Amino acid sequence: MPKIEIPLKDFLPLAEMDNTENLEKLLESLKAELDGLNEETVKIELNDTNRPDLWTAEGVARGLRCWKNGAESHLDSMADPAVHIDVHSGLKEMRPFIAAFTADGWTVDEDGLASLITAQEKIASSFGKERKTAAIGFYPLDGISFPVSYGTSSPETRFRPLGEETEMTLSEVLEKTEAGLKYAGLLSDFKEYPVLRDSSGAVLSFPPVLNSHATGRVVSGDSRLFCEVTGTDWHTVNLTATILACNLEDRGAVICPVEIRYPDGEVTVTPVLYRDTLTAGFKEITGVIGTDADELDIEALLSKMDYREIEVGEDSVTAVMPPYRRDGIHPRDLMEDIVIAMGLNNMEPILPSEYTVGSASSVEILACSVKSLLVGAGCEEIMRPILTSFDKISIRTRTPEPPIRISNPMTAEYGVVSNTLLPALLEVESSSGHAAFPHRLFTVGEVLCRIDSSLCHTQMNLAVSTGDGDFGAVHSILGIICHLRGLDLSLKPLDDSRFIPGRSAAILINGEEVGILGEFHPGVLESWGIAVPVAGFELPLESLRV
Amino acid sequence: MSEIVSKDLHPLEKTLLNWLSEHGSGSDMEALKGTGMDEGSYRRAFQWLLSREMASVISSEKTVTVEFGPVGAVYIEKGTTPELALLEAVGNGISSLPEIQKNELFEKAQWGSAMGALLKARILKKSSEGLLLNDPSGGVFSALWSSVYSPVSQGETIYLSELDEKVAAEVLNRAPKRGKSRAEFVINETTSSVIGITPLGREALEGAKGKTTIGILTREILASGEWKNGSFRRYQVDIPPSRIHIGRFHPYAMFLDSVRDKLQAMGFQEMKGSLAESEFWNNDALFMPQFHPARDIHDAYYLEDGVEVAPPSRKLGDKVRETHENGGNTGGRGWEYTFEWDRSLKAIMRSQGTALSARTLGSNPDIPGKYFGIAKCFRYDQVDATHLPDFFQVEGIVLGEEINMRHLLGLLKLFATEIAGATEYKFVPAYFPFTEPSVELHVKHPVLGWFEMGGAGLFRREVCEPMGIDVPVIAWGLGLDRMALLALGLSDIRDLLNPDLARLREMKSTPEKLLGGADNA
Repeated sequence: MPKIEIPLKDFLPLAEMDNTENLEKLLESLKAELDGLNEETVKIELNDTNRPDLWTAEGVARGLRCWKNGAESHLDSMADPAVHIDVHSGLKEMRPFIAAFTADGWTVDEDGLASLITAQEKIASSFGKERKTAAIGFYPLDGISFPVSYGTSSPETRFRPLGEETEMTLSEVLEKTEAGLKYAGLLSDFKEYPVLRDSSGAVLSFPPVLNSHATGRVVSGDSRLFCEVTGTDWHTVNLTATILACNLEDRGAVICPVEIRYPDGEVTVTPVLYRDTLTAGFKEITGVIGTDADELDIEALLSKMDYREIEVGEDSVTAVMPPYRRDGIHPRDLMEDIVIAMGLNNMEPILPSEYTVGSASSVEILACSVKSLLVGAGCEEIMRPILTSFDKISIRTRTPEPPIRISNPMTAEYGVVSNTLLPALLEVESSSGHAAFPHRLFTVGEVLCRIDSSLCHTQMNLAVSTGDGDFGAVHSILGIICHLRGLDLSLKPLDDSRFIPGRSAAILINGEEVGILGEFHPGVLESWGIAVPVAGFELPLESLRV
Repeated sequence: MSEIVSKDLHPLEKTLLNWLSEHGSGSDMEALKGTGMDEGSYRRAFQWLLSREMASVISSEKTVTVEFGPVGAVYIEKGTTPELALLEAVGNGISSLPEIQKNELFEKAQWGSAMGALLKARILKKSSEGLLLNDPSGGVFSALWSSVYSPVSQGETIYLSELDEKVAAEVLNRAPKRGKSRAEFVINETTSSVIGITPLGREALEGAKGKTTIGILTREILASGEWKNGSFRRYQVDIPPSRIHIGRFHPYAMFLDSVRDKLQAMGFQEMKGSLAESEFWNNDALFMPQFHPARDIHDAYYLEDGVEVAPPSRKLGDKVRETHENGGNTGGRGWEYTFEWDRSLKAIMRSQGTALSARTLGSNPDIPGKYFGIAKCFRYDQVDATHLPDFFQVEGIVLGEEINMRHLLGLLKLFATEIAGATEYKFVPAYFPFTEPSVELHVKHPVLGWFEMGGAGLFRREVCEPMGIDVPVIAWGLGLDRMALLALGLSDIRDLLNPDLARLREMKSTPEKLLGGADNA
């Protein structure tokens, strides 16, 4: 989840707050958590991955203002576009979309600059998928002559990137600069690279990597900005631009749109004014929140959440989400905002009145019965993780059947899924040489097995082992369980790599072969570093069902 | 006191007191041999007498003896050490290490370190003609053989303090404290004491003379009636019991069972699922878009190529696909992207218990109905004090015509008080792709303070509609780890699944206190 850090002297005036009292509580309405607070800065974690507008100081501040004062206007009085950007062909497979606007009248100060950089980083990295679907550039407006062109250029094109001392070719930028190395992967499939130039031909930037030093360096004191967003996804590009426009408007800038002329003749004016319009019936609202919708001041509630054009009708409400949001994909989303505005803690909790009968799953009931008998037989229950290593199952324990591997393991130690529980018991034996003997251990747990060559399935197994015990010791434990459950137990000689030849057997219950029992081979004990004889058995729990 | 004490000597105590009274005092070894007791009985008798002040320690002395380690035992079997064998070989004209290493009496490395030791002690020297004997006597290595190896192999006790200084140093050098399996010698420290009888001891012995005291009541004593003529030795009843080890359930399993019991009591039916899931059930059916950050490869474990889980029906798959792409029949617009069926079929380790709820929704659940599942889940996390490679989550859903947010809050409140034993709780708005509205339950625990206990919400229409569920469904998932740690008095999550039996045996067993109200906290 994105986290942002904002200086309080920037944040408090923006949020129209005098102090940070109640901040933690107020942030809840934005699905945000106070992650840290000192005299100078506040750290906030944003939990809604669908609300990139909140990942900036301006967005959080706006949410808090509206919570207190009601809805605000956003980009409502923009003039017609005065300038345009020509998009050239050749970008289609690479980075086809661009959105842009100008912002005039807010003088960038140090905190404002920091906030622009935060927006650039947070939105472009997470929402913009590491600048693939959206990357952001800010420029001082006065150095740019329109129309701007967005096209492709050869890797040999030279310009001086922001923060570098000398001119470089685009290829050199990708090979030598920090940003270039980081984002080169986005362009590795292409022969030419995207470049933004102004009408004089000067390179403004090499998106999504770096701006030009000459034209793309915003400093404190600038008061006229040009902002562009490029990327591979239409909505990500446009929503990002709209969010940034709203943010700069909140800081006092006048936003002027820019016309985007695509090579196929399509023309878009950006920032795009999104208007997710949601309609919810009172009946549905009542059904979701459990309080009669007629009794609620829905208009006031939605206004707190910055909705606009709220029309409360006879039996339904229609409202438009603010333009910086595009997460209203179902009427339910509007209902959630009503619930948040009401305050979850103001809703009276009640219990479902319908009577239902509870029950445990049949395999857990079976496990409980069998486990009780094992405890009676003096066995101690063991629990171990399900993820384990190939070494433990196949090498040390010599289990004939290979376990299913994880294709992207974190470490080899947890690189496979257990298909047998005996290695876990041997692992306990190997860690417990100092614990008083004898050891009678059992474990009941899920394992993942192959049914045929490809299909896998989960089953609950039971394994028992005796440390400093022999074949007879485990056999008698299995024997008494079968006896008390009324099952017919027999063993059939079966050699198995885990056990001493001639001292292992297939377990037959009511005539059906279900598991294995034996005295572990000294080679297995040696590989586990176990100094006492160990015997064990394992079978699927279901085989003990009567 | 002394009256009782004097009458009740254990037979072992009596034997030792008798010997002491005869000899006045003596060393451990003398008393042990003199009384003819085994060492364990002797120690017990002596400790008892000491604690009852009937015997006393007059003086005690630490002795350090030398025994063979595993390596030393092998040398005795071979009849020589690598150093002596090397000296002999050099005496016989062998002059280089590779040459001697052809001799398989010892391993190459052993020959090598023997040579190093001999050169260092200047017993061998290197010259242009190869190795030469510098000190034909063999110095400390011969002495080691004659003063340690030979006598110990004859069963003699060798005291470290009686050895020549150089030999003793070499012995210590070859008796590492760690890695005993590679040790040539083992150093045994024992304390031997001279003990004596006290006046109280003499008094007790006097008092006990001529009486038959019955120690263990045997079948024979009962059958013969012998008990009628004797008195019973009084037991010392205030000593701690000896520790026995009994069969028992694992404390963590008992904790999970108590959660299961509680939910059954609230009318929930248990769901069971598969450890491995398709991405379809784990994610797609829960309306998590295939481009969702939580679905990136680093958050889930993928199974090896070629391993599959049974695919969902294509009909259901198509409904879910449409819902993702354009909202399908839900009245919403979906996530607006191209859904990939191949991605749906990928097999992963279940990353969230909600997969169980999705499957339940898809298999004609009872309406009204309540379901829960205690499910192993797998997340791509580094294992540390707060993360296990796999962990349990408890999930649940409630379906019903009249079910709404307030019922969800009501159940969450119940969980906060009944399961976590919380004194205070609050609901916080939250975001999950599959629920709307979504809520987090935060509880204030008397010990832990505020923590997030779980997430919940109303399943979105986009989750229910493709499954043919047209009633509201509330869903919740509670994290059990932190509560389990607290309930079991642990601070490291790895202790829940510890492989050390001795530590497991120290974990307390009070299942009746694991869950519930503040009175149990």
